[in-house]
Amino acid sequence: MDYLLPLVPDKIRNLPTHMDFDGQKRAERTFQVIIILFAVVGFVWGYICQQFSQTMYILCAGFLLSCVLTLPPWPIYRMKNLDWQKPRITEETLESSSTVSSKSKGKKK
Amino acid sequence: MNTFLSRANTIFAFTLSVVAALTFGCFLSTAFEDHRAPVSIKTAKAMVKRVSDFSVSREKNDLGFITFDLKADMNPLFNWNVKQLFIYLTAQYETDNNKVNQVVLWDKIIQRGEKAVIDLNSMNTKYYFFDDGNGLRSNRNVTLSLSWNVIPNAGTLPKVDGDGTYTFEFPTEYSSSRS
Repeated sequence: MDYLLPLVPDKIRNLPTHMDFDGQKRAERTFQVIIILFAVVGFVWGYICQQFSQTMYILCAGFLLSCVLTLPPWPIYRMKNLDWQKPRITEETLESSSTVSSKSKGKKK
Repeated sequence: MNTFLSRANTIFAFTLSVVAALTFGCFLSTAFEDHRAPVSIKTAKAMVKRVSDFSVSREKNDLGFITFDLKADMNPLFNWNVKQLFIYLTAQYETDNNKVNQVVLWDKIIQRGEKAVIDLNSMNTKYYFFDDGNGLRSNRNVTLSLSWNVIPNAGTLPKVDGDGTYTFEFPTEYSSSRS
């Protein structure tokens, strides 16, 4: 499949697909709340009409809804990116980075 | 939670746990139901013959023929944790050979949603009423009773005896095999 990757346009390839840590936490909490809410409502409704299958159908609906809301990495789960410290620039790092970059450049050529 | 697949796995596992909890709740909500119901049984005809039960031996054993009337309303037994009822009619009697004899004469399965009122008149038995000897003729104390198993979605499988039995006696003479 790797040979397909260069064929994908950069616009699509560069789409962010990650969730930040806070987003992961909120995604988990979101589906837990949704599924439990649907389960409780389904249990009550199933008890009222005395059909356990209704309970299961409503729970299934909650499952699907939480899948739609939390499976894809929606942008709202990417709002609190970590503030990484900027790399300290000392002479050593300068040297090493320059050597690394020069090496990589050399390879490419 | 950092990849699509790990999120899918977590949601699925969580949903399964919730399904288990709901099923247990369904069991709890019906765990203390009383599954009994009133039953009225009568026999219209009772006679006894002496024939060979070839499946057992060549000896001649007593074979009872009865027809029975049965009235019972099973509707109150059904709830969201009952899939079906297995209802069976048992004859119990005592002979010289055995202290307790039990023979199932008739049974019926009622699934949820089907007609749950039993109203039978002069019904023939579904299974042969064979004694394992000659204990039926002039037996004065044969008790018919209706019992049922409740088959649930989740939980225990109760065996319930209906309220109401009927006791009858067999004639003192064998009927001729023609009648």
